[in-house]
Amino acid sequence: MNEPVVEEDSQVRGERDRGARNLELWSRPPQLPDTHYVDTRVYTDRSIFSEEIEQIFDRVWLPVCHESELPDAYDFRTSGVAGTKPIVMVRGPDRRIRTFLNVCPHRGNTIVRSPAGSLTKAEPSGNPKHMTCMFHGWQFDALGRCAEIPREEQGYQGRVCKTDVGLREIRTEVAHGGFVWVNLDDRCGPLAGHVAGAFDFMAQELDTEPLEIFHYQKAIIRTNYKLWHETSREFYHDYMHYHNRATGMLQKGYYDRKYTVFDNGHAATGLTTIAYDAYEGSKDRLLTFPGMPRNGWKQLNIFPACTYSLRTSCLRVSVMTPISERETLIEIRGLGLKSDTPGEREERIADHGTIWGPFGRNLHEDLLVVQNQAVAMREGSGSKYLIMAREENSTIHDEIGLRSYFAEWSRRMGRMASDPMP
Amino acid sequence: MVAPHGPHGERSDAVTSADSETRQRVDELIYESCLALNGGDWNSYLALCDPRDFRYRIVNFSPEIRREQCWMDRDWKGMKSIFDLLPKHNSDHSPLTRHATVYKIVCDREGGEAAATTLVAIYRTQLDGVNSHFESGQTSLFAVGKYEDRIRVGANGDAALLLSRTVRLDTRQIDIGSHYPF
Repeated sequence: MNEPVVEEDSQVRGERDRGARNLELWSRPPQLPDTHYVDTRVYTDRSIFSEEIEQIFDRVWLPVCHESELPDAYDFRTSGVAGTKPIVMVRGPDRRIRTFLNVCPHRGNTIVRSPAGSLTKAEPSGNPKHMTCMFHGWQFDALGRCAEIPREEQGYQGRVCKTDVGLREIRTEVAHGGFVWVNLDDRCGPLAGHVAGAFDFMAQELDTEPLEIFHYQKAIIRTNYKLWHETSREFYHDYMHYHNRATGMLQKGYYDRKYTVFDNGHAATGLTTIAYDAYEGSKDRLLTFPGMPRNGWKQLNIFPACTYSLRTSCLRVSVMTPISERETLIEIRGLGLKSDTPGEREERIADHGTIWGPFGRNLHEDLLVVQNQAVAMREGSGSKYLIMAREENSTIHDEIGLRSYFAEWSRRMGRMASDPMP
Repeated sequence: MVAPHGPHGERSDAVTSADSETRQRVDELIYESCLALNGGDWNSYLALCDPRDFRYRIVNFSPEIRREQCWMDRDWKGMKSIFDLLPKHNSDHSPLTRHATVYKIVCDREGGEAAATTLVAIYRTQLDGVNSHFESGQTSLFAVGKYEDRIRVGANGDAALLLSRTVRLDTRQIDIGSHYPF
């Protein structure tokens, strides 16, 4: 004979023993300050994403490439910024790097299609030292001026002139280790105002001598851009990485490492030293950057979507380009000193690949987890809130780096991330 | 080191196409290496590699930065370390399947070495990488490229061994990457 089924009141049980929660309890906001948790819709809602592009990405300075990717006059590099806006960076005959919207003003075609190259080689339907739209042969020089409209006078009789149809130029600065930064807002202040001194503690390493890129990888990851950036803003997840939990976390001083937050949402983790003698294959690290201890490590997160990580022999710069609320283009660059000998460069490359390459031990886990977060938090999944409430005097497992991000996010979006729907 | 051609494209007298016996030994070595990796039999894979001289690299040419780049560079000991650490990582455990076709083998008879060029396609069958409820069991092309192998062919029935393997990738976007070598 079956026992009668007794429905347990799970709400009562949940209140009593703090065990598993029913839907009502699960859906309640955490009993924390509203700065210490976020509503997961900030990662999944399409309208919030569109607003982020307008309120944040269209208005802040964003790094797009390194100057060593276009070393010579007339070199170019194409990219995209702030969602899906195509851009092309060109080093002019005056060696200055300029950025243009990579859209032909005539019929909206992409003008420069290759990822990188030199304008000194003519396109099939154009002239050297010009960007030529393959569609109708309109040509633009390295300063963005329209240089050629085929049969201009016959077709337009003076109604459209070359002087009227130059390319859309975008504010550009080269700084902080030779990175090319752009800002889509013509009225924006200088880059220095945006970074607010955040780079000062890395200036010697980045700016004493020229850097050079040796590693470039990219992937479109099925996640929200903020989730990827957040992995760089908290080190509590060191538990995920074997070497970190088996060596780094056991080192003296690990828990003393401090975060510094800056205006405009940037956050840094200051110099720490790593016991590389505990890492197989990394016992004899010799190379570093100017002013950096041989076993040092510094990291800086620039709002809204860039991380500089300088770890002994190599600099990694990670840039996120949001494509949609659930897709992010992640670009990772590895850099050394331009003055490296071939042997030194090989050593830096090997070091970089061991940790941060696509076959490295940490990158795969970081990407795996942000992809799985996006799966678990997708709209309608039942996910509600993320907790960012660790407070440990701004030390390594404090989540102040996350809270500083969302403080700036809230300032720009005009509402709290814990209650994000307009 | 075996190079199939001299610096100006001429064929060296010492470098010849493989005879059928050598070709068979090289083919078997390369295909065995793929089967071992596909099966996660890391020890069998390492047994096919020369412990003193083996070097494994994954390279590609990036048109974005207009230079060749190296994404992995390990010797035999380094490869063993990677395999030993696999159970300690939080990996995407989706199996990778290497489909290989050996296209070209040339021999340096004096040195007892062969150089082989093998085209390889690597497929990934989802297990726990994304959403196991929706995607486990789906297979997709993960990467294409080629193996450039140097092989000690030896003589007198000695086993052929890999002296080096360079995985030259055409694919440059490999999603979330991999803890498993290609």
